[in-house]
Amino acid sequence: MSILLLTSIFLPLAGAILLPARRERARGVALLTALLTLALAVVLVGCYPGGTAPFAKTDYTWLAGSGVPLDVRFSVALDGLSIWLYALTALLTVVAVLISWEAIAEQAPLFYRLLLILETGMLGVFTAQDLFLFYVFFEFTLIPLFFLIGIWGSEERRYAAMKFFLFTLAGSMLTFLGLLAIMLWDFYHPIGTPAPWKMTFSIPELTTRYAARPMDPAMQMWIFLALFVGFAVKVPLVPLHTWLPLAHVQAPAAGSIDLAGVLLKIGAYGFARFSIPLLPAAAAAAMPWILILSVAGILYGALVALAQSDIKKLIAYSSVSHMGFCMAGLFSANRLGIEGGTLQLLSHGLATGGLFALVGMIYERYHTRKIADLGGLARRLPVLGFFMAVMTLSSIGLPGTSGFVGEFLILIGLFQRGWAETLPPDALLRTLSVLAVLGVVLGAWYMLWLYQRVFFGPVREPQGQSHREGDSPIFPDHASMVPEKSGQSPQPPVRDLNLREILALAPLAVLIIWIGVYPRFFLDRLAPTMNQLTAGMRQAETRLERTKDEIRMTKECRISKCRMPEDSTDPRFPPPRPFRHSSFDILSSFGFRPLSFAKPQAAFSPLIPHPSSP
Amino acid sequence: MPSAKTLLVVIPAMPLLAAALTAVLGPRLLRTRSHWPTVLGVAFSFAASLLLLFQVHQQVRAEKNATFPSVTLWQWVDVDSSRLAAARTAALVESTAEAGAPPAAKQGTFSINVALQADPLTCVMLAVVTCISLLVAIYSIGYMRGDRGYWRFFSYIPLFVFSMTMLVSASNFLLLYVFWELVGLCSYLLIGFWYQRPAAAAAGKKAFLVNRIGDFGFALGVFLLWTTYGTLNYEDLFGPHHLPYAREALGTAICLLLLAGACGKSAQFPLHVWLPDAMEGPSPVSALIHAATMVTAGVYLVARCLPMFREAPGVLHVVAIIGGGTALLGAIIAVTQTDLKRILAYSTISHLGYMFLALGTGTLLGAVAGMFHLVTHAFFKSLLFLAAGSVMHAMGGVIDIRRFSGLRRRMPITHWTFLFGGLSMAGVIPFAGFFSKDAILLSLAECSGGLIYQTLYWTTFGGIVLIVLYTFRPYFIAFFGPEKIPKEAGDHAHESPRVMTWTLVILAFVAFSVGMVLEWNHVLSDFLAATPSWTTLPLPPAPEVLAKEHLAIALQSSAAVLITLACTAALYLGTRRVIVARLTGLLKLVGIYQLSFGKFFFDQIYWLFIILPAEGFAALCAWADNHVIDGLVNLCGAVPRWFGAALRPLQGGLIQFYALSMAIGLLIMLFLLLL
Repeated sequence: MSILLLTSIFLPLAGAILLPARRERARGVALLTALLTLALAVVLVGCYPGGTAPFAKTDYTWLAGSGVPLDVRFSVALDGLSIWLYALTALLTVVAVLISWEAIAEQAPLFYRLLLILETGMLGVFTAQDLFLFYVFFEFTLIPLFFLIGIWGSEERRYAAMKFFLFTLAGSMLTFLGLLAIMLWDFYHPIGTPAPWKMTFSIPELTTRYAARPMDPAMQMWIFLALFVGFAVKVPLVPLHTWLPLAHVQAPAAGSIDLAGVLLKIGAYGFARFSIPLLPAAAAAAMPWILILSVAGILYGALVALAQSDIKKLIAYSSVSHMGFCMAGLFSANRLGIEGGTLQLLSHGLATGGLFALVGMIYERYHTRKIADLGGLARRLPVLGFFMAVMTLSSIGLPGTSGFVGEFLILIGLFQRGWAETLPPDALLRTLSVLAVLGVVLGAWYMLWLYQRVFFGPVREPQGQSHREGDSPIFPDHASMVPEKSGQSPQPPVRDLNLREILALAPLAVLIIWIGVYPRFFLDRLAPTMNQLTAGMRQAETRLERTKDEIRMTKECRISKCRMPEDSTDPRFPPPRPFRHSSFDILSSFGFRPLSFAKPQAAFSPLIPHPSSP
Repeated sequence: MPSAKTLLVVIPAMPLLAAALTAVLGPRLLRTRSHWPTVLGVAFSFAASLLLLFQVHQQVRAEKNATFPSVTLWQWVDVDSSRLAAARTAALVESTAEAGAPPAAKQGTFSINVALQADPLTCVMLAVVTCISLLVAIYSIGYMRGDRGYWRFFSYIPLFVFSMTMLVSASNFLLLYVFWELVGLCSYLLIGFWYQRPAAAAAGKKAFLVNRIGDFGFALGVFLLWTTYGTLNYEDLFGPHHLPYAREALGTAICLLLLAGACGKSAQFPLHVWLPDAMEGPSPVSALIHAATMVTAGVYLVARCLPMFREAPGVLHVVAIIGGGTALLGAIIAVTQTDLKRILAYSTISHLGYMFLALGTGTLLGAVAGMFHLVTHAFFKSLLFLAAGSVMHAMGGVIDIRRFSGLRRRMPITHWTFLFGGLSMAGVIPFAGFFSKDAILLSLAECSGGLIYQTLYWTTFGGIVLIVLYTFRPYFIAFFGPEKIPKEAGDHAHESPRVMTWTLVILAFVAFSVGMVLEWNHVLSDFLAATPSWTTLPLPPAPEVLAKEHLAIALQSSAAVLITLACTAALYLGTRRVIVARLTGLLKLVGIYQLSFGKFFFDQIYWLFIILPAEGFAALCAWADNHVIDGLVNLCGAVPRWFGAALRPLQGGLIQFYALSMAIGLLIMLFLLLL
């Protein structure tokens, strides 16, 4: 199995290097490579046994000096969280290659090379089991996409590419510092006898060690914030989202698919992989804040989407809204919400990836993305209309599609958390859970509005709608586009989807329905891993709640001068440690804490070799 | 004989199969034969429904507390969501117990099965749904002939039948919600069936969105059910050993939220605005979905949850008042409309209001009366819609009653069947509507709820007069008087094809007789009373007492109906139009006429107070996103640039400047060293 995984990660890279220079051959080889990768991914998903053990693990020493305690490993594996995102990447790359088949005319070999390199990067991000390797792949995804947007984008492509690059890079610098801090803190706080004298970058090892010996909460909060910046930009959480609509609108369709389908997931993946398991107390403390941002994103994204006139921009803002759901689920500190959030990541990748592919197909035919320029396409392009309907319905969370399962689980998790599990009614959580449901109504509003305007009504299409080979990706002049009645068009009518396009969309539609009808297949395989990853946060969260309860009860008792109730002696929940902060006064908590890695009991200084080493 | 479990699965499975077959084979292979899978599939499931009804009825007669058939297909979700330590759960239970709430201790695993069940309530719904679906499907063969989307129509219809049968046989709230949304989707697709017409596309979207607002409430209700009771299964909530219901504000909130969903689906005030617009869909769709079956889903939901609604304080009053108010509102609007299908749509709203009203009494009598009216209404209203469709078919798509008249000679069968439907709806003895309407009046009279129900009784009584008026006004205008045919119909306005007229005749027969059959020996009420969730409802008084009361009410209402019928005939037959004009003028003076004709201006109010502010706010957000948030981002990007620009003059490339700065630097360092 491990050889399959390793092959599948580097197959696209090999394909990219060996890609022939002629367009026709290049795309054929690119498709073949992507399909082979997908086949490997399907085999791996089929063989995935579930549980929490890493699957198909490969582990080599990579950077390890003899004198320095560095221990960077080349280590990749799959678990319940990564396997779905890994498979999604493999699938969406095939879709991306298929829909670029005709659309990309200029420098096609280079385009497919970048696309395949991007695939390797994305597959690597989700499978890396080593902090260093993760970061390498994490940054590695940026560069191909930068070029994809910058070269094959629309008219403002350079600006968009630059903004995308700088925004993400700036965020990920801080993330890098955070990841380093995680590794270093572990190095300077060894456990076990004799303490292993090495700087381990291994994510599973760090996870188990941090579970056994958590960082002190203030330190956690600092590192959490550092990681947060980079991951929140990627997701994107609301005030940090402005690169996304721009990048989506300017990117070629294939770029949009990868961007929405996979790259946004890296942010959420980062939270689930690092922030939550490694820094559980901070994650628990930050929970209300992240929930506020997520729900704000749900509503704000939906409202802004409602006011858009460009199809791609509308879908881009809908992504902001949907990713808000994912984050709300992950940070609901409830298993229903967490599993729903993870499933929603997958569902959003399928539905929004499909929507961007469809918009690309519309653009290829009409060279416009303006909603006002189009109408009645269901009559003209019935098959496209059908696929659009499936993706739209999944996007608005109609039961029977994947969108429903994700959203429903997230919302019911939020409700359970806000209404059933807080002893004093937590007004904030309750309000947030209700507002999140409102996002579902708004979602239906803007998506159905889009569908009605573009696909229903009398046929309305811009002039020059026929497909032009070798057209430059520059926008055609809008002034020349006069809406016209159907049947009067001098050009031959626009053709409906061909087999290639149907084959690109059909797997997405099938998966959407599959997840909607039988989500257990997916939930059962992701549940153990997610449960393990979030166990720390959920415990910390419960403890936090208990502290709050006790503070409240103490206050009440003081007022009524009654006897303090005796603490329950539940072995699973030891009496809470004195927390310096509750979730609402984070700022005060780390303002007074000196930021230092060294602890007084550490008997060695960083530059002197460890006594146990020769 | 197949077992009840098999039947339960077969009933929805056959239409689903038909839908899939038609969708795949329709465009290429079946084409004009696309109706065959639908008709056969639905006929099969109708037969299965009757068998199931028969079996369950046998069971009810055989034993008092029968366990009804249920079947689990697969497990949809199973997540262990317990988070709390045992001690904390105990504390939670203790604290909620004080507040009168039920224990939330069961909140362990969120486990949802795709499971179906058949109690008497479900069986009755199944039989009605599949029966009407079958007749409408047959009728559509004639009505939709020659349409481009023939196969599309016949793949949506069985999809709807599948969703609707699943909705009524679901055994938990999640499954109910799933199919609740799916019937909404079918409704959306079928309203917008002629999607090139902007009005149809807009109406479909409007229906979906208004329903989504109701479903917003419904979803909140389901979430709160889960957080309160820790289960979504009917068995735990309404079964013989159900959990104790939350009584205080929480209980009321849950019920009202569920009611909001019911109001959306059943077009009750204030969410009724989508139903009249839904008439943009083909007439068979109006008959099937927007008159007989889907819109009654809300009634079904309330009927299902009735014991819970009873326990929550104030909720039944809200149900009754919404029902009674909507009944009156719909009737008042229907009186002045000129579009035949919209008149029928408002009358549907009104009749659904009566069903809510009956359920709002919270007694067994009321519950049975509501369901009885649901059954009879399904038949006579679908008959009326199909007859109206037949008129529309002949008139070339014109449905405005001002543009045609005197059709009774051209379309004799349509005329007679419409008359049967009208008499049944007006509640003329011995048509079906008479029995169910009297059952509602009786349940209101017997309800000891105080002044509210007294008032509602008389409102309903007044509503009866309006029913007769709005039913027979279009009837007389359209079918009597001088023959007038719009030019859209061409010169071949004629009776509809036989496949349509025969279905009309069958429906007319059923609309005539179904009331008598079901009232005979109290077949329906005895059967429905065995529904597990209704066993706790207050029982009606002794039959002798009831019979006396019933007779009095029947006499009063029949008198009212017949007098109004005579007056309406006198007003609209012959040349007494002057009196009508005078009356209209009088009503216009008071302002009632304008209100009724303008549909109480609900659309305008919603546009002004909801849509406009929301869109404005959305535009504001979009502007802020572009200028404020992105502006801040650009500002962050600009700061380093300004910083660079400020330092740029230092690197001017002028050697003398570099030498000077070097010298100054050296001087400063020397000075510092000396200090």
